[in-house]
This record gives sequence, C-alpha cells and structure tokens, in this order.
Amino acid sequence: MELLNLAGIAGVYTLMLVILIAAVAMVTLRSLFHSALALAAVLIGIAGIYLTLQADFLAMIQILIYVGAVMTLIIFAVMLTEHLSHQTVRQNNRQSPLAIAGICAFLFCLTGVIVRTPWPLQPQNQTATITAMELGKAFMGQYVFAFELISVFLIAALIGAIVIARKDK
Amino acid sequence: MEILDSIFLNTKKIFLDLLGCWLPDWMILLVNIGIIIGVIAVLGPVIMMYLTLLERKIIGRMQNRIGPNRVGIFGILQPIADGIKMFTKEDIIPQNADKIVHFLAPVLMVIPALLAFAVLPFGRGMIPVNLNVGLLFFIAVSSTSTICVFMASWASRNKFSILGGMRSAAQMISYEIPMVLSVVPVILSAESLSTYAIVEAQARWSGLHWFVFTPWGLLAFIIFFLCGVAECNRSPFDLPEAESEIVAGFHTEYSGMKFALFYMAEYMNTFTVSALAATLFLGGWEGPVLPSWLWFFIKTHALIFVMFWFRGTLPRFRVDQLMGLAWKLFLPLTLINIFVAGGYHLISDRNFRVAGASAVLLVSFLLFTVFLNRKYMPEKRRYDLVD
Amino acid sequence: MPKSYTVQNTDLLDTQTLEVNFGPQHPSTHGVFRMFVELDGEVIVTLKPVMGYLHRNHEQIAENLTYLGIMPYTDRLDYFNAMTNNLGYAMAVEKLAGITVPERAQYIRVIVSEFTRLINHLSLVGFLLNDLGAFFTPILYAFREREKILDVFEEISGSRMMCNYLRFGGVKCDLSPAVLETMKKITRNFPKFLDEFEALLSKNEILCMRCQNVGVLPKELAVNSSITGPVLRASGINYDIRKVDRYSLYDRFRFRVPLGRKGDTYDRYYVRVLEMRESVKILEQALQDIPVGEILNPKTAPFAKAPRNFKPPVGEDYGRIESPKGELGYYVVSDGTPQPWRYHIRAPSFINLTILEDICLGHKVADAIIILGSLDIVLGEVDR
Repeated sequence: MELLNLAGIAGVYTLMLVILIAAVAMVTLRSLFHSALALAAVLIGIAGIYLTLQADFLAMIQILIYVGAVMTLIIFAVMLTEHLSHQTVRQNNRQSPLAIAGICAFLFCLTGVIVRTPWPLQPQNQTATITAMELGKAFMGQYVFAFELISVFLIAALIGAIVIARKDK
Repeated sequence: MEILDSIFLNTKKIFLDLLGCWLPDWMILLVNIGIIIGVIAVLGPVIMMYLTLLERKIIGRMQNRIGPNRVGIFGILQPIADGIKMFTKEDIIPQNADKIVHFLAPVLMVIPALLAFAVLPFGRGMIPVNLNVGLLFFIAVSSTSTICVFMASWASRNKFSILGGMRSAAQMISYEIPMVLSVVPVILSAESLSTYAIVEAQARWSGLHWFVFTPWGLLAFIIFFLCGVAECNRSPFDLPEAESEIVAGFHTEYSGMKFALFYMAEYMNTFTVSALAATLFLGGWEGPVLPSWLWFFIKTHALIFVMFWFRGTLPRFRVDQLMGLAWKLFLPLTLINIFVAGGYHLISDRNFRVAGASAVLLVSFLLFTVFLNRKYMPEKRRYDLVD
Repeated sequence: MPKSYTVQNTDLLDTQTLEVNFGPQHPSTHGVFRMFVELDGEVIVTLKPVMGYLHRNHEQIAENLTYLGIMPYTDRLDYFNAMTNNLGYAMAVEKLAGITVPERAQYIRVIVSEFTRLINHLSLVGFLLNDLGAFFTPILYAFREREKILDVFEEISGSRMMCNYLRFGGVKCDLSPAVLETMKKITRNFPKFLDEFEALLSKNEILCMRCQNVGVLPKELAVNSSITGPVLRASGINYDIRKVDRYSLYDRFRFRVPLGRKGDTYDRYYVRVLEMRESVKILEQALQDIPVGEILNPKTAPFAKAPRNFKPPVGEDYGRIESPKGELGYYVVSDGTPQPWRYHIRAPSFINLTILEDICLGHKVADAIIILGSLDIVLGEVDR
C-alpha cells in the first residue's frame, strides 16, 4: 500500500510540474495559437489538482466551463483576427536576463516567507467531501445574494455582446 | 437468467481470485483497473468498426441496394479491409502546415471519445467507474473535443478547413447548451449525478417508470437526442463535413491513419451519445426477460439505427438555420422544461401533474415554433398551369 | 460593371474579404467548372464563373466533317440528353435542306424527346438533393426509373447515353412492338413512382427552408438575359418553345405548361416536377396514337451510305427546340459543299449561367451551390 501512496504523491507532483511547464510555455511560445493551447493544458491540469483535493464537482465544472467554453472563445478570437494568428511574436528582449534575475530574487524571498509561516492545518477534515447537493443548498441558502448578483452580471455581459455585434438594420 | 446477467462480472471475479493466489493485494487492484481499461480500449474501436459496416448496410437498404457484401459473408470482414487500407495509405501533410498541431489534433480528438465510455452503465453492476458526478464528467469531456476541431482546422492552413472548423466549433458549442439543460430535469428527478443511480431511479415497475414516459422526459429525450446528433456532426447537422460544399471541412487535409482517427472519434461519439440517451431516458439496462447488458445494447442500437435513418433520408441544414434551431427553439424549450419538471416532481397527484405538464409543454412548443421561428416554416406555393 | 453586394461596415473592425475558388475539382459543381467567389464571412460579395475547362472545339471540328458525321458529336454536347441534341440538329438541317419527315418518325421523335425530358428532370432532382446533403438516397430512387428508360434507349439505338439515333428525315431504327410495350409500361408506372418520390421531398421542411426565397430571379432580369427553359418558367413567364413554335407535332398533344410565381430555387425544382407529369401525359397520348409507316424519308436514305453526297443548298438556317434545359438552337450555314461553312450552337446552360452572379449575391456559400444546381447546367454544353 505504501507503494501506491508513493505513486500517488509522485503523480501529484508530476501534475504540478506539468502545469508549471505549460504555464511557462504559454508565456514564452512565439505563436499565439500555441500559447492558447498551452493555456488549455494549464486549465486541464488545474482540474486535476481539484480532483486530488476531492473536489470532483468543481473539477468537472472547471473542464466544462474553462476548457469547453472560455478556451473556445479565446481560440475563436485568435483565429478570427487573421493577422495575429499567422504571426510569430518575439518573446524576449534585451532586458530579459535582468528581469529573470529580479524574479529569481523575488521567488527566493517569497519561498522563505512561505516556509516560515505557520499555516494552520486541520488534517482530520481533509476527507470531507462537498457534494453537488451541498453546493446547491449553499448557493440557494447562504450565498444566494452573490449568486443572483453574478447572474445579473452575466446577463448584462450577454446583452452588451449582442448590442455590439448586431448590425444596424 | 441471473447467471447470464452477471456472466462478465463472475468471469472477472474468478480470474482475479485465481491471480490473487500468488500476487500481492495492490497488484490485484492494478490488474482490475487494467482489465477494465483493456476491455474499453478494445471495445471502443471494435464497436466503431462494426458501426461503419452497419451504417453502410442500413443506408444501402434504404437506397434500394445491398451494402458491402464481398469481403466476408455479409461483409463482416469489410471493416478490417477498411482498417488495412487506412493503415497503408500515405500520410500527406501540407507543406505549410503546423506539424505538431497537425499531428496532435486527431490524437486529442480520440481521447474524449474513449474517456466517455468510462461512465456508461453497460449492465447491472457493470459500470467501469462509478463516479459521483458521472453525467457531468461525460458532458465535460465531450466539450473538450471542440478545441481539437479548431486545432485540426487551423493546422491545415487551408481556407476551406478554417471555414469548416469554425462552423463546426460554433455548431458544437451552440448545441452543448440545450444538451446540458435538457439533462437537468433527469438529474432533478433522480436526485443524483451518477449514471448508475439514474438507471436505478428508473428501475421501478420494470418499464413504466422510464423517464421517457413522462411529458417532460419525452421532450427532454427528443431534444437531447437531436443535440447529440448535432454534437457528433452527423446528418442532418453535418455541416462540417459537408462534402458538397467545402470538400471535407476540418479534416480535408488529413489522410490515412489520422483520418481514420477522426472517423473513429465520430463513430465512438455516436455510440456514446446513443448509449447515454438510452441510459438517461430509456432506462439503461432495465428490462423484463433478457440479461441487462443485452437490453443496454438493444436500446443503444435502436437509437443508433435512428441516427443512420436520419442520415439516409434528410438533407442538410444551412449554418444560420442550424444556429437558429439551437438558440431559438431548443434553448427556450429546455428552460421551460426544467420548470415543468420541477413542478412535476413536487405535485404528487398523478393525473393532474401529467395533464398539467403536457399542456404547458405543448403550449410553449407551439408558441416558440409559431412566433420565433415563423420564417422557417415552409410556405405554401401555388403554380399555374397554362396552355 | 455588375453590381456587387456591399457589406455595411458599421463596426469599428476593418474586415477583409476572403477569396475562395470553388475549383474545377469539386464534388458538386456538376463537372469541371470554377467559381471564383469573394466572401465576407459567409456572405457572397462577388462571384465570377470561369468556364472553358471542357472546351473540346466542337464547332471547329464540325466545319471539317460531313453533315451526317456531326450527328454523333451532338450527342456529347449535353451528355445527359443525347436524343434532344440530335433532334435540334436534325431539325436545323432539315429546315435548311427542305426535307420532310414521315409521321411515324415524328411520333418516335416526340416519344424519345419526352423520355429524355424525364431523364433530365429526374437527374436534376437527384443531384439537387445530393447538393443539399441527402446523401444519395433521392438519386438512387430517381436512377431506378432512369435505368428503365436507358434500357429502352439501348434497345432502340444501341447505346444508353450517346444514342446517335436521329437522321435527317427520320430516325435510324424502328420500334419493335416489344419496345412499345415496355415504353407503355414505364409510362403507366411513372406517376405512381413520382408520387412516391416527391412525397418525402416536396414538403420536406429542410428542403423548403433551404430552397425557398433563395436565388430569386426577377422576371425582367430573366427576360433581359435571354434565360429560357424551366428557369424562365419558374419566374412566371410563359414561354415554352413547344407551344410557341409548335415544331414536330407538339400541337397535336394536349399538355399544359407549369409556371411558378416567385422564381426561387424551390420554384425551379417544383416546376420541373410538374413538367415531368406533363411529359407523362404527352407520352401516353403519343404511345397510343403512333401510326404505322416508314421511319426515314426515302430521299435521304441513300445519304446514309454516302454522306459526302449530301449537299444542302447554299443558305443559313436556325433550328431550335425546347430541350429539357432550355432553348437549344443550332445555326447552320451551308455553302453547297458537304461540310458546313459555319456551325454554332446556342447552348441553354451557357446562357443560363450568365445570371449566376446576380442571383447569388447576398446569399451564403451553401446557397450558391444549390442555386447552381437548380440552374441545371451541363459542362459539355457550356464549353462545347
């Protein structure tokens, strides 16, 4: 059983590594379309992390909304602007080495702070799973105001998009 | 009949018990998972191959001719011949194409198609993975194939492919929404997202409690099935592959095994969508006499036959009419359906709720077809015959 | 300058038009035909048809052949309707040389012309539905009947499609009583087949949605562009050469001419279905009244063995018929020698193709294919 546990932990760390590599690729790749695909990979990886934290509903919704809808929108936008989609953009310039040195220093200080902070851990509650039913009850009960506000925002965005895209007849 | 019902489960249990004599426990777990994955990995492509043969024979009969019958007795070996042909074809990549993306697109297209097999209840106790959010998993996974279509069309650097890819992506996104919303009443009634639990919720009274026999269930079934046909890019929604217009849409520039992978993904999608429709609405593996997995296959193949029937009979929609259908007809109907299903669930008087639900749904259907979609109704024409 | 469809650019985006070639090799441009299309999104802004990929130099070749030697070449003009091509040419030369045709031969000519009309309209409906995406099923149903008619043609002329059956002054071979029986059987079963065939088609919602109000051809444009045939009649103009010229016994038969009102693709499709029914009526009357007699004018019989002796008088003449696609005319100029001095064909598909741009503007790509299909062109005729 320890072997399976070890394999599990190795898997989680591999997943995090893959997410990091995809995120770096997204920022440094030259073609815009490839960056969009790397972003899709990052989002799928994050869904994987949600699965390791026992949030299965959230993982599925992440894939459905982010990868299925938001990424499609981004790729549509990339493909429709014909000039952008076939160009390659240079991703570094003369200031890159200096910037990388500054970021490494910042990361060093940040890691020091994170390691030294006492994070309150509650190992007993790690096995609690939130099901879709409880999420639904929370939406309609405790957080109903935020839920309704978000839906009003979405309708405003939808109507705005239709108004902008409509041709004047 | 009980023996036949759980014949697959018993075989697997015997095999694992045999292995358990000389293998540690954690390895038995891995072997278990391996068997399930192996079965699906074999079942998927084999089903797809024989679905292609079935389609050609059924459409052939509808067109007054016999389908393939030269290779093998009833053309049984025809898919194998097709497979050999696809394997040995030259793999042509256009010169300007983006090689990595061109290579990855068909590979990534097959992955969601295969993953969707994991939550289908093939029989009593025979579901590969009993996820708590099984239905949501299916929907999430099939929505990722839109990106693969984009990848395929963009990597070919061909105007026709880009046109086809955008049409296809727009169609797939538009039809996902009514598909998901039409499933919500089922989740309401079964009070669970797991496909296994949904089948068990239809298990009472052996046949009369299927969701398709309720008013909201019938409408939801029809809408779900039509949206599924659209998701698989099949006739009459097969714009992306409209051979007569943009040669082959997003898979124009693919040949050989890569094209075979796209083809495989489409047929596996056909099977999984039909299987899911059978699970959600027609009662899954429920049925009186025959074993459960046989009932599942019969129901799934009945729906697949209806899909092939559509292909052999109906012409194709145009892009704006396709979108109009999804947004102006299906979406409002599914929203009203959710409310009606909620009301149905709460009211317990049986006659009143059936009559009330049917009335509301019929009225709203007529309203939407007449008012929103009037310009799509066929006009009556008169012709003069003169001397 | 043909008018082009201007797209209103009211948004802040500066969009470009996409230029696409629906190239010579395309599954549904009915042959080697190219359409150069400029698209704005999916809407067509300009469309230029490019023809000439099948130019075989027919008219020039004919200037070196004898008059009878041109007859097999006319089969290959509109390769679906060989018999009517032969009829037009035979009529032109008969007018030039003053040859009369015996009555039985004229009846036979009318019968094969009407069968050819049936074949053409069946193929058209089948191919139009194939463009619409109905995956071959209507074609195979239509071709079931077409095969029966082609078998009849093979019996009487020896070849299914390139018949070479008509001669100056009559037809080549006689119809045996068995063939007449087969023809009567086909004619009897045809209305029932047509009912079955169009039951799924004419009221099909998807067909109606795709074809109604698509590619409307206004009356003035049709007349000004010299469009003829079912395309013209679908726009509401009553001009059928069988009724106007009354050539070759058509005034003995009672039949009516269907007219559409709107001129869109659906009208063009349905007018052809109605014309099929009228052709069946003509066939019934002709098959019943066909007299016994000779099939070839005895004066022209010797020319079949020695075609170089056939020298029509000096002059020119124009013979036209109502072929299934429109007015097919042959203009023959003779200078007394066995070869024609000039020979020109007025091809209906070529003339009908000139309005393709005007009626396609503002529609989408998918509609352009259907409009092209409903205009019913055959590249053999367009390019000659």
